[in-house]
Amino acid sequence: MQIFKAFFKVLKKSIPSSLIYIIIFLSISLVFAFSGQEDKTVFEQTELIFCIFDQDDSAESRSLVSYIGKQHELVDLEQDEDILLDALYYERVNCILLIKSGYAKQLAEGNTENLFERYAMHAGYADILTEQLLDQYVASVSAYLAEGCLLPEAVQKAETALSVQADVTYADFEEDTEYPTVIFFFFQYLPYILISVLFNTLCPVLLTMNRNDIRFRTDCSGIRPASYLLWNSAGSVLFIIGIWLLFMGVGIFLYGGLYAGKAWIAVLNSFVFTLVSASWAILFSCFSPGENTINLITQVIGLGMSFFCGIFVEQSLLGSGVLAVARFLPAYWYVRINNMLSGNEPFRSENVLVFLLIETAFAVAAGMLALLIGKFRYRRLSAE
Amino acid sequence: MENTVIKIENLVKRYGDLIALDHFSLAIREGEIFGLLGPNGSGKTTTINCMLSLLAFDKGSIEIFGQKMTPVNYDIKKQIGIIMQDVAVFNELTVYENIDYFCGLYITDKAERKRCVMEAVEFTGLGEFLKFYPKKLSGGLLRRLNIACGIAHKPRLIILDEPTIAVDPQSRNKILEGIQKLNRMGATIVYTSHYMEEVEQICTRVAIMDKGKKIAEGTKDELKRMIKNTETITVEVLGLSEAIRNEIVQLPHVYRTEYDGERLIVFCSGGTHNLIRVLDVFRTHEIRVGRVYSELPTLNDVFLEITGKELRDRKGDSHVLS
Repeated sequence: MQIFKAFFKVLKKSIPSSLIYIIIFLSISLVFAFSGQEDKTVFEQTELIFCIFDQDDSAESRSLVSYIGKQHELVDLEQDEDILLDALYYERVNCILLIKSGYAKQLAEGNTENLFERYAMHAGYADILTEQLLDQYVASVSAYLAEGCLLPEAVQKAETALSVQADVTYADFEEDTEYPTVIFFFFQYLPYILISVLFNTLCPVLLTMNRNDIRFRTDCSGIRPASYLLWNSAGSVLFIIGIWLLFMGVGIFLYGGLYAGKAWIAVLNSFVFTLVSASWAILFSCFSPGENTINLITQVIGLGMSFFCGIFVEQSLLGSGVLAVARFLPAYWYVRINNMLSGNEPFRSENVLVFLLIETAFAVAAGMLALLIGKFRYRRLSAE
Repeated sequence: MENTVIKIENLVKRYGDLIALDHFSLAIREGEIFGLLGPNGSGKTTTINCMLSLLAFDKGSIEIFGQKMTPVNYDIKKQIGIIMQDVAVFNELTVYENIDYFCGLYITDKAERKRCVMEAVEFTGLGEFLKFYPKKLSGGLLRRLNIACGIAHKPRLIILDEPTIAVDPQSRNKILEGIQKLNRMGATIVYTSHYMEEVEQICTRVAIMDKGKKIAEGTKDELKRMIKNTETITVEVLGLSEAIRNEIVQLPHVYRTEYDGERLIVFCSGGTHNLIRVLDVFRTHEIRVGRVYSELPTLNDVFLEITGKELRDRKGDSHVLS
């Protein structure tokens, strides 16, 4: 019990270094959860701010100005280059449109070239929208003219036709209530945080508990080496499960209740990955790294695995070469399961099982290796 | 006083081709402060590790408190306290928590443990530092904490493996006084060191080791009687002629002299009034001398004469070892 208590006293000193990871992760999860609750079912057409100079000043050009004014905001500006450029730069207007002299005449003749001059932020959405608007308008008018209408009539008909608004409704993708997006992202980023927390916390504790001089002194006492290992293992297991439960609790909060249906698979997946991270942390501690090395390796493994295996970047966006390498890392299989649960790839229960077993194999392999190295080190220490 | 606490017979320990312990035998009686003296690499720590069953040996036997010592003889282990040369404490635990932890490896009863911890704290004078973390302690206080962790469970046998390395003289004296106090309280002490002064100061019996062998054993007086030299006289004198040196060598009990142009060293074996006879020679020849002093043999002289080499390096700092 004395060893168990000492384990947690030492652990208490290591926790602050991991706390920053936990706090950031929890904050991001909460922000994610609440930002996901916005009502996105109302559609609003984008409204631009136009400044129009009508050099043609014909009934048709005025009709166009009026047409644009119905959909967008019109502002008057002095026709001064500096003022106009400033207005564009500071986004007081999105587009400056010049209806050239001869607009009506050209349109009546069916010549749609060089009717306008347009100034907007280059390749910005306002420029594209304006171009689209004018092209539609001119094309519609031309179409009615081609039909034999006179220009005023063509303009009238084109405006009527274009004023018909498409009824926009959001496609209802029926958010999966068993595995909502917020939970998908929560479980998606969980491996990185598990690696960071377990490496940064468990490694220093195990290093301290297995320091040569401490082991030497303990071995001189009435404590059996097996008992020492047992109490340390008990402490590690309790801590690992505690960390996992903490994150699962956050997950329940984000989920809005106890997990249901296939979310339980994600819970199981995260548990297996927690074991993987813990066994890797234990294995790493066998090499007696220094404090800086622990931080460095945590970042290399955590970030490396996150980028290679599709935690930070979707697996579908990663190259085949990267994915081929990622197959040798446990996070790849973790993400595959998460993708299946979210519908990003077809769900197959037999695949889930296989992937879970692969992850478990990573944990078992690292655990066995850690035991072997630990035993070897202990024997070498005894022989020195 | 006559009960044998540790009995080592014909212990052999090899590291590959290197023989660390070569048929080493030793018997330590209850109530002794037994000094194990030898240079680095002489086999002192190997002997201790074998005694504690932390190290398997190739041949021989070790008995502690009349029982064969094995790695699983936890009854014996519980009666031993070990204080190593390296401070082995948790940096993450306070002074109190450290002593409590190591005491708890032996004593499970909480009340008894608390009493023992407080007694160890009082004994080592760490009362003011109970809530301090080891990193905040000075070197001397750290050593005292190291000792407190080793003695809190009130062991019958305490093994101290060079506990005063890199300790200031004041703390060293306190540690040595503490060891003597522990001995008076009934503990048998095994003390290893390469500081002959410490061993001379506190040990009742001494074994000198070199190259894994015991080269001498006995009380301090017994050891000093084993060597030819009984007195070394040093005279500061300039321009001493060969004739005068020959005259001094001819004096009774003088068996050798050394002269470096400034200082004459006269080695005597037995007899009394050697110093007076040497000074008479200078007076007769009206030779003026500087400082004159006479020294009795030390354990270093014993070691030097037996092995032909110094126990400690005299070139550098007095704490630098050979």
